[in-house]
Amino acid sequence: MLKALSRRALFGALAATLTFGAGVAHANPATDFVNSFGGQLVSIVNSSKPLGEKKREVLPLLQSNVDIQGIARYCLGRYWRTATPAQQQKYLQLFDQVLVNTITDQIGNYQGVSFRVTGSTPTPDGERVNALIDRPGQPEVNMQLVIGGTPAKVVDMYGEGASLRMNQRGDYSSYLSRHGGDVGALNTALEHQLSNHH
Amino acid sequence: MDSRQDRIGIRATRSRRGRAIAGVLALLTLGACGSLHKPPPTDPDDLADYKAANDPYEPFNRKMYNVQMWAYHVALRPVAKAWVWAVPKPVRHSISNINETWREPAVFFSDVGAGKPRRAGDSFMRFTINMSAGVAGFFDVASLVGYKQHETDPGMTMGTWGVPSGPYLFIPFVGPSNIRDGAGYAIGQALTPINYVPRGYGLLTFNWAYNILGTVDGFANSVDQIDHLEQDSLDPYSYVRSAWQQNRQSQIDAMQNDHRATTPDWYN
Repeated sequence: MLKALSRRALFGALAATLTFGAGVAHANPATDFVNSFGGQLVSIVNSSKPLGEKKREVLPLLQSNVDIQGIARYCLGRYWRTATPAQQQKYLQLFDQVLVNTITDQIGNYQGVSFRVTGSTPTPDGERVNALIDRPGQPEVNMQLVIGGTPAKVVDMYGEGASLRMNQRGDYSSYLSRHGGDVGALNTALEHQLSNHH
Repeated sequence: MDSRQDRIGIRATRSRRGRAIAGVLALLTLGACGSLHKPPPTDPDDLADYKAANDPYEPFNRKMYNVQMWAYHVALRPVAKAWVWAVPKPVRHSISNINETWREPAVFFSDVGAGKPRRAGDSFMRFTINMSAGVAGFFDVASLVGYKQHETDPGMTMGTWGVPSGPYLFIPFVGPSNIRDGAGYAIGQALTPINYVPRGYGLLTFNWAYNILGTVDGFANSVDQIDHLEQDSLDPYSYVRSAWQQNRQSQIDAMQNDHRATTPDWYN
C-alpha cells in the first residue's frame, strides 16, 4: 500500500511516462501531447550529459508542459485566498522547485523503461490519458495523466488510483490547519524541505 | 522496488494482525467518548475539509500512527534492512508468493460475494495451480499461465454492496483502514485456512515462522517508500490518509467495473 502512497513513486512514474513515451493506442490531442512531451524529455534523458545539466534542461520543459501554477493553487486550496500576495508568490516559487526536484530525481532511476498509451477518457478536469509503464524485471505500472487547459498541459496525475494533487492538497491543508492557516509557516516548511533535499 | 512484491508484502503484514482490530475498535469506542474525537468545526471551509477527510477520530488515529512509526524506526526498519541484506531476493520472492497464495481462498470468497465469477475463477485457478505446480505456493506459476494476481477482500466486497465505509481508522501494524474494512479484514482472517491449521507444537512453530517472516518481508519491501514518504511530506499522516482512501475507492470501482466474461479470453 505504501508504495501507492509515495509521492516519489508517483512522480517517478510520471517521469518515466513522459520520458519513454512511444506508441499510442488511439491518438487524440491529449495522447499526442503526452507523446510530444515525452519525446522532448527522452532526448534530454538519453543524452550523455551529466545529471545536473539534464536537470537544468528538464526544468523549462516541465514549466511549459505541466500546469505547475494551477496545481500549486489547487494544492493550497482555500488558503490561497487568505495568503498575502507576497506569500503567494513565494509559495509558487517554492512549489515549482518541489515539483521539479521530485520529478527530476527520478530520471536516473528509470533507465530502460518502455511506455505505451492504452487509451484516454474524458473527465471534468480534462482528458485522462492511461499509460502502462514497463520497467525491466519489474511489474507494469499503471498511471494516468490528466491533460487540460488551453494550451494543453498536465493538470494532474494518478497512480494506484490516487490523484497526486489531491494527496498534496491534503498534506498542505492538514499542515496549515495545524498551524493556524499561516501560509508563511507553510513556506518556511517547504524551504526547510528543499534545503534537506538530497 | 517491486510494486507487486510491495503490495503482497504489506498485505501479508496486515494479514498477521487480525486480532488487533477488535481491541483497537474497542479502544476507538472509548476514544469516541473522550478527547480523542475531533468535533465538527463550525467554519464552513473547515467543515468541508473535515467531511472530506472522514476522520472524526483524527486525534486518536494520529496517536496510533505515531505508535506505528515509533515501532518502525526503533525495530521494524532496522530488522527489515537486515532482512534485505541477508536474504537473497529469490527467497524473499518465494515468501511473498506463499503469503499471496495462501490468502487466495479469502480472495476467492470475496470475489464470489461481490458477484464477480471471472475474478473468483482466477483466484481459484491461482490457488490450485500455485499449491500444486507452484510447490505449495513457493512459485507463482499461475501468473505465467495467465492468471494474474489481483486483490479482493471482504471490505471491498461490502463496498460493492454499498456498505458505507464509516470513519477512517489508523490501526498500528495494520495500517490505514475504516470501520467497514476493519470488519472485512476480520472476516478475511476467518476465510484464511492457515489460521485454522496449527494445533501441534510443530505446526504452531511453523505458523509463527510464517507470520514473522511475512511481517518482516512486508516491511522490507516498503522501507524505501516509507522513508520517502516521511521525507517528502509535511504531514505524512494526512498524505497516507488521502492516498489510501482514494486508492481504496479506486479498487472498489475497478472491481465493480470488471465485467469480463466468465469464459477465458482464449475461448471468446
